[in-house]
Amino acid sequence: MVNLEDLKKEAKTVLEEGKVKYIIGYEKSANGLMPVPGFIKSPEEVEKLIWTPACVYNLTKFLVDEKRRKSREKKPDERPVGLVVKGCDSRALVVLLQEKFINRDDVFIIGVSCEETGVIDEKKLIKKLKGKKAEKIEFDEKDNFIVTTQEGKVKIAASEVLAERCLECKANSPVIYDVLLGEKAKRSVDNPFQSLEKIESLPERERWKFWKEQLSKCIRCYACRSVCPMCYCDECVADTINFAVTADTTAEEKAQKIKWLEKSPVKSENFVYHLVRAIHLAGRCIDCGECERVCPLDIPIRFLNKKLEKDAKELFDYEAGFDPEQPSLVSSFKDEDPEDFIR
Amino acid sequence: MAEEFEPKIVAFLCKWCSSAGSDLAGVSRMEYPPNVVPIQVMCSGSVSPLYVLSAFNKGADGVLVSGCHPGDCHYIKGNFYARRRIALVKRLLDFIGLEPQRFQMSWVSAAEGTKYTQIIKDFVQELKPLGPQTKLRRDL
Repeated sequence: MVNLEDLKKEAKTVLEEGKVKYIIGYEKSANGLMPVPGFIKSPEEVEKLIWTPACVYNLTKFLVDEKRRKSREKKPDERPVGLVVKGCDSRALVVLLQEKFINRDDVFIIGVSCEETGVIDEKKLIKKLKGKKAEKIEFDEKDNFIVTTQEGKVKIAASEVLAERCLECKANSPVIYDVLLGEKAKRSVDNPFQSLEKIESLPERERWKFWKEQLSKCIRCYACRSVCPMCYCDECVADTINFAVTADTTAEEKAQKIKWLEKSPVKSENFVYHLVRAIHLAGRCIDCGECERVCPLDIPIRFLNKKLEKDAKELFDYEAGFDPEQPSLVSSFKDEDPEDFIR
Repeated sequence: MAEEFEPKIVAFLCKWCSSAGSDLAGVSRMEYPPNVVPIQVMCSGSVSPLYVLSAFNKGADGVLVSGCHPGDCHYIKGNFYARRRIALVKRLLDFIGLEPQRFQMSWVSAAEGTKYTQIIKDFVQELKPLGPQTKLRRDL
């Protein structure tokens, strides 16, 4: 099990030695149960760091912001940023390294292992507690979480409140790190695509009904795009204006600029948006599940990405986020790629 | 009597093979259904999945992507990239419940005018019973 004191000690050491600019980790929030991302800038502040099963966020996203911030500074601090990563987050980091979006020297990775468990799904926990407010959640020996509510402590089986993605996790301990806390345990997952099969087994008409219902709900708040560590493009096809408008730009040029999809949150445009997003994440999505967590309308966006992850594995034997040296899925090919669908 | 449904097909044809193939069909005066709107692209590898989605969004009943046979690509390996990408798009469209017949890919060389006409004939025959594509069509 990850010892929080060890985590604080490691963080304190690197900060005192001045090896890192600051450390991005999890800290306690006013809400109590769910933590907030914490930016630890001095050795005194490390006491704020926490590590609980409620540390669900993928902090890799902050590296994207850090890179932008750094590029604007006149004299940037060249030291790396300390980052606390779980197994899944470390895979996101590998993809960013693979795409050369960040350099290995820009980040000091403090890996925490989820070992036999994982992180919770807040909604599942609320349901499970039936109205009681959870104040604290802790790891227990294997397979269990201890939840403190106003009425005392309850022991809950991890499998009941674990996030869906944790039940299908492929990397429960970080695949890349400078310091590793906790043990490197390999958990065997029988079927990493089990949740997907529910939809895949439906007949075509039912699948369409399902997705039509789900994607028609979308209000296009773009929270899924904002939270995704892979959505780092400066320009996005989903934005109406994605070309430079200067004083010389004529009205005609503006009018003739291709608009791939409309802003209106209607079914057809939502489909284009979500399908394009899924395609752009093919071979890059590492299933951190953040898009689904932040969705205010509970659209199971994760399935679209999961489907492509499964296809990449089945058709091309490709898995994202394990090897920073491998060529990316869509910029490589093999002679024996399937072509039975081609006439 | 109600008129028979005539599907509209958008075909992305690569400049060096498939487009020349369709040209050959034309100059050889081969007959094939007029349901197809050919769009010449430089390479099948340059067909972005967004083109396909956009075509469906703007009312295509079927979309065809056609390129050179493997090994014949003018740009050496563009069609290999296309093969991978299109396979993913095809699976994804199938997953969300679009009829799989609506999106096809083919290899047509510059000499295969007959093959091109046959592909279009078959495609039209397959699309007719499906009726108009309304699933992804813009509904603003």
